[in-house]
Amino acid sequence: MNNRLKVLRAERDWSQAELADQLGVSRQTVNALETGRYDPSLPLAFKIARVFGQPIEAIFTED
Amino acid sequence: MNDLSRPRRPHGPGAYLLVIGASLVLGGLAGAASAFLGDQPGPVGTAVTAAFVTAAMAVGFTACIWWWRGIDEAAREAHKWAWWWGGSGGMAVGSVLLLTLMLRAEEQSLPAKLGSTPADIFVSGMMCILLFQLAGYSLAWAGWWLKHR
Repeated sequence: MNNRLKVLRAERDWSQAELADQLGVSRQTVNALETGRYDPSLPLAFKIARVFGQPIEAIFTED
Repeated sequence: MNDLSRPRRPHGPGAYLLVIGASLVLGGLAGAASAFLGDQPGPVGTAVTAAFVTAAMAVGFTACIWWWRGIDEAAREAHKWAWWWGGSGGMAVGSVLLLTLMLRAEEQSLPAKLGSTPADIFVSGMMCILLFQLAGYSLAWAGWWLKHR
């Protein structure tokens, strides 16, 4: 699964640690998400969508 | 899923070390208590030892639940993956080794540290398998995070 997490975070000028704090996950998890090597659970995907104020399908796309 | 409050920070390595340290202290206390109070003849001694070990395991397991609930989902996934593949793989390797040794028992001389009674040797075998499981688990856990960096 591809995602726009890194772009969205950069647009807001947040660090990985700041995004991790908002999501309640570790910085390592944010890094794994951004590199596309870890797909989030549905609850975490909803949380990400809420933090960025965008629908899930605008953030995550199928390969 | 509908919780809009600010999420709390997940447990870090400090919480992990705290649980490991507390478990070691607890195990030491249970072992000492069993040695002093469980050293009685008959079923009373066995019951006292079983009670202390059960209590220590229960408290240790409760600490693990607290820690598990505090880590995030990727950390949980890493541990689940590591336990399944690393733990099972380590157990398989250890089992092959121990079963091979057992089948050739008459040609081997076991180190004295492993014990001499059947109960001692049984526990030593169990601990050997556990060590293989932990080694496999550690390797798989590190591998999971390296792969998901």
